[in-house]
Amino acid sequence: MLRFAVRRLLLLVPILLGLSILVFVWIRALPGGPAQALLGERATPETVAQIERQYGLDEPVHVQYWKYIQRTAEFDLGTSVTSRRPVKDELAERFPATIELSLAAMIFSVVFGIPLGFIAAKRYGTWLDHTSLVASLIGISIPIFFLAILLKYVFAVKLGLLPTVGRASVLIDFSHPTKFYVLDAILAGNLEALWDVLKHLILPAVALGSIPLAIIARITRAAVLDVQNEDYVRVARAKGLAPREVDTRHILRNALLPIMTIIGLQTGLLLSGAVLTETVFAWPGMGTWLVGAIRARDFPVLQGGILFVALVFVLVNLVVDLAYALVNPRIRVS
Amino acid sequence: MHVSCVDSAFAAREGGHISVAQVEAREVQLEAPSGLWNEAWRRLRRNPAAIVGFVLVSIFVVTAVFAPLVAPYGPLEQGLEGGRLDFASPSWSHPFGLDPLGRDLFSRVVYGARYSLLIGVVSVAIGLSIGMVIGAVAGYLGRWFDSVLMRLMDIMLAIPGLLLAIGIVAALGPGLIQIMAAVGATQIPIFARLLRGSILATRETDYVLAARAVGVKGRRVLASHILPNSLSPVIVQGTLALATAIIDVAGLGFLGLGPQDPSTPEWGTMLTDTTRYLQTAPFLALIPGAAIVVSVLGFNLIGDGLREALDPKFRGRA
Amino acid sequence: MRRIAVKFGLVAAACAVVAVTVGLGGGSKATTTMVFAGASDPTYLDPSLASDGETFRVTEQIYEGLVYLKPGTTKVRPRLALRWKSANRGKLWTFWLRRGVKFHDGTPFNAAAACANFNRWYNWTGPFQDPSATFYYQAIYGGFRHNEVSGLGPPLFRSCGTRGAYRIVIRLTRASGTFFPSLVIAPFAMQSPTAMRRYQADEGQLQNGTFRPIGSYAFEHPTGTGPFKFKSWTLGQKVELERNDAYWGTKAKLKRLIIRPITTSTGRLQALQNHEINAYDLAAPQDIPAITGNSSLKVIRRPAFNVAYVTIHQGSGPMRELKVRQAVAYGLNRAQVVRQFYYGTGKVANEFIPPSLYGWTDKVKKYSYNPTRARQLLNSSSCHVPCHIDFWYPTAISRPYMPDPPRNFEAFQASLNASGFDVTPHSAPWRPTYVAKVNEGTAGDLNLIGWTGDYGDPDNFVGTFFNARTAGAQFGFQNPKIFNLLERAKNEPVFTKRVVLYQKLNILLMNYLPAVPYAHATPALGAERRVHNLIATPVGGVWFQFATVG
Repeated sequence: MLRFAVRRLLLLVPILLGLSILVFVWIRALPGGPAQALLGERATPETVAQIERQYGLDEPVHVQYWKYIQRTAEFDLGTSVTSRRPVKDELAERFPATIELSLAAMIFSVVFGIPLGFIAAKRYGTWLDHTSLVASLIGISIPIFFLAILLKYVFAVKLGLLPTVGRASVLIDFSHPTKFYVLDAILAGNLEALWDVLKHLILPAVALGSIPLAIIARITRAAVLDVQNEDYVRVARAKGLAPREVDTRHILRNALLPIMTIIGLQTGLLLSGAVLTETVFAWPGMGTWLVGAIRARDFPVLQGGILFVALVFVLVNLVVDLAYALVNPRIRVS
Repeated sequence: MHVSCVDSAFAAREGGHISVAQVEAREVQLEAPSGLWNEAWRRLRRNPAAIVGFVLVSIFVVTAVFAPLVAPYGPLEQGLEGGRLDFASPSWSHPFGLDPLGRDLFSRVVYGARYSLLIGVVSVAIGLSIGMVIGAVAGYLGRWFDSVLMRLMDIMLAIPGLLLAIGIVAALGPGLIQIMAAVGATQIPIFARLLRGSILATRETDYVLAARAVGVKGRRVLASHILPNSLSPVIVQGTLALATAIIDVAGLGFLGLGPQDPSTPEWGTMLTDTTRYLQTAPFLALIPGAAIVVSVLGFNLIGDGLREALDPKFRGRA
Repeated sequence: MRRIAVKFGLVAAACAVVAVTVGLGGGSKATTTMVFAGASDPTYLDPSLASDGETFRVTEQIYEGLVYLKPGTTKVRPRLALRWKSANRGKLWTFWLRRGVKFHDGTPFNAAAACANFNRWYNWTGPFQDPSATFYYQAIYGGFRHNEVSGLGPPLFRSCGTRGAYRIVIRLTRASGTFFPSLVIAPFAMQSPTAMRRYQADEGQLQNGTFRPIGSYAFEHPTGTGPFKFKSWTLGQKVELERNDAYWGTKAKLKRLIIRPITTSTGRLQALQNHEINAYDLAAPQDIPAITGNSSLKVIRRPAFNVAYVTIHQGSGPMRELKVRQAVAYGLNRAQVVRQFYYGTGKVANEFIPPSLYGWTDKVKKYSYNPTRARQLLNSSSCHVPCHIDFWYPTAISRPYMPDPPRNFEAFQASLNASGFDVTPHSAPWRPTYVAKVNEGTAGDLNLIGWTGDYGDPDNFVGTFFNARTAGAQFGFQNPKIFNLLERAKNEPVFTKRVVLYQKLNILLMNYLPAVPYAHATPALGAERRVHNLIATPVGGVWFQFATVG
């Protein structure tokens, strides 16, 4: 087990290096530079050339790359061209926003997905089961941004129940030590703020969590159906255990294994979906940050932000793999 | 409806490198390939969801292929309501209404099917062909090739699908061909891993070992034993990949990275412009969105049905 | 299992009920707080070092200059200076300053403070001389005391002296017609010398090619004399200002002013429809029907201070001939484009400066849509019908003067094709390529572009477009007559003479046709109906001093 873990951890290094090169090359392949983006109509050939010179873009590529690696190792991710703030600082603000949204989406999908899947499995073959299957299929067929637009339109614009933009109302002030607004509101003991933050979280979380919800419901249903037919369940039933106990002690416990793995695998989906959902709800997270940076050719943001996102993704995958290997020894020998 | 164990291909689509697929694949290939397809077809025919999916996909494909015959107007004809360049609600002459340039929305949706089909098929073809080659090389040749290629795939998978596509389009510039390449590229690692897994599993099975013991050449083993068995998950994945491709392309169009010519009737691009009209002309957004949902749903239903039909665990349980 | 399902249902229902009761009832009572949405955060709050409209919208509430434009107009009025006089043919300017004015930190505003500001800008060195730091200072004053960067011209400013506590005398190195009008713009506002010193306003550096102040002044302690004081700034969330109760003039009605960024115009629209904000800027013209159709909302118009035009590149190709350029002018159906794509917010432009600016004259040659005339002209030129040309337009952008470039293009293409041309379309995304190509002159024979004025001076329009350098690059022509007239007008210190010179220039330009202007747009803001006295200035600012909500 340890060898497996160490081997996977060591593999991280070439992956990260490869990624940094990829990101570096990719950025320089982007047509145009930040100067035109910054200056717009007011750009003149002189000002553009001046900005590009100061960027060091006239230095040889390998020199630029080496400087970039050096600075990144010192945690200096540069300064954003559009906002003129250190990329590090913006990352510290944007990342928690996306994490909070993703967590909320994940909680939503798990809290509703597992019971839905479970019920569908229990009612296997009935109309409830069929409906839930079709519903989950429709769920993964709706583009996230379309669902986000619909939800926003129905609940915010039409019914006025929920807000359309941002993480919190600008009229309510409370301090943000952790940058996780839900946590901050709780720490500040401010119930009004907490309710306000939750209201802002609902629609984007539902939109983002819709696809994981569908997937989790299906996997739960499949896993429960599988486990249900296993011998040990039959034995438990024959023993005379109450159905409720059979459900929780045996079925759920064993079905949870594949479900957990699937949940871990949703990170990639959540990150991609975050880009689209954040755009629709003006959520100040990594998604809107990176898309804006692409439009503005904000090189430092792209270099630092994308690498960070990839790093997180790789780490999460690693953790999921390790956890799965821990539980399922067959995998370790592959 | 049948049960599929742990929806392994379902999982494979989402993350790509779950080892469960390999484990389950090992169990899948224990029988000889003949008879699999007939069984599958029979089971498919009896699956109501799959039939619905088939109908939806057929409508989609027929509409796309015969667009000029299906659509009453051209997708670029402006000012159809008395020359006014303005949107109009659905009416008898224009069942889906007119878009803000006075173009018939129904015709544009119909031509949009062409784009979606084209982009979907081409990107999946790119992903499939390149991915399969990589996967076959890695799986069959093993060792050094395998490590290097799979690490490359890991790097590609390290960036979530849509983000990778966005990155590629940003570098290549927006446009139709670029999106196809981008979305195709995101499919490569998934197919590569899938085929590699299948090959690895099949390589060690009894009948392949037997064939090699008897002296059958490596290439023939690959062609006549390993590949056909690995095909079924690829077919399933291909159908599901088509569904994902259509959604990803719409997402790119929505972010403004799609075809830059604003008159292109691509569904996702049709959605960017129309969100501001939700209060005054909701049909402008709802209809292209519904078109995406319906076509993607069709492919998902078929893909699902195929997966269950091709899963030999349930032989004789029909 | 059934019990769990039932519990879920009850919790969900309870949540819905609570949500409904709490969510309703927003936006009905009068309030002294206004929430206003712009498109992005300010860069930093030291206006002398900034150049973007989002920053200026905030700083124009905190700081004031010696003079200002009467809100909603381009007329210069006293602000911190009561009156002024120029002498020595415009090289010497005396300003009499207002008394009893204090900065937000209590420092008195007087001659010493005013000169401290002028001298600060003049004495900047190092990274402060980078164009990303002092774009506007360089545009008006050319250079600094010690120019360290090549490309900086000789400084226009010579010295600022005090005559007593409330009079300053500014000496310039040469006569300039732009010095005085430029005093209205945000970068030249008066800032508290005490606060600047205390919070290191003159510490800055270039990071990755862009300038950034290091001191805390520009982020936490911007100190001016204006009707609003800075309270807090949470990046990505809001800038919060509060009423300055010690203000020398009419105190603001609002107690709290919150300016928040919402990046997309649709997002701003929906936030307004949902009453999460009271008003917003940069309303897309396509959304105006949605706003006016809503009984609780209204549109506030910004007086037109921009121009959209079709560049004509004369470098190579048929545009060298005046007849072909005239054919273009007659062949563009500008009236139709303005009527259809500006949603009632535009009017046809017949010259390169907007009607509200001095120097505008009705006596320019006008070219109404005449395809027959265009064909005649073409056939009598060297580019017979069909005359093949390349026409570029930008994608992925909406500008205040040109809200819908692709549609404008499509309509122009059709009318030009009907007038004897054969138009080949080309497009590029606004960022990063389009603007660069237009500036370099590699965007075909014709392209769509425009400009919003920064301050009430015609030189900011025609001087920016047709000076010797850009004339060569963007438009591909050399016309000494035009260049000389531009220089003369720019440097003419006597106002009435300046007006006449610019009128002559406009007539000359519309005869020579280096480009074809086509629209002046009135950009719009969206607001709740209960918002009153919110004024949008022509140059892009918003006046909150008299605004009320409800």
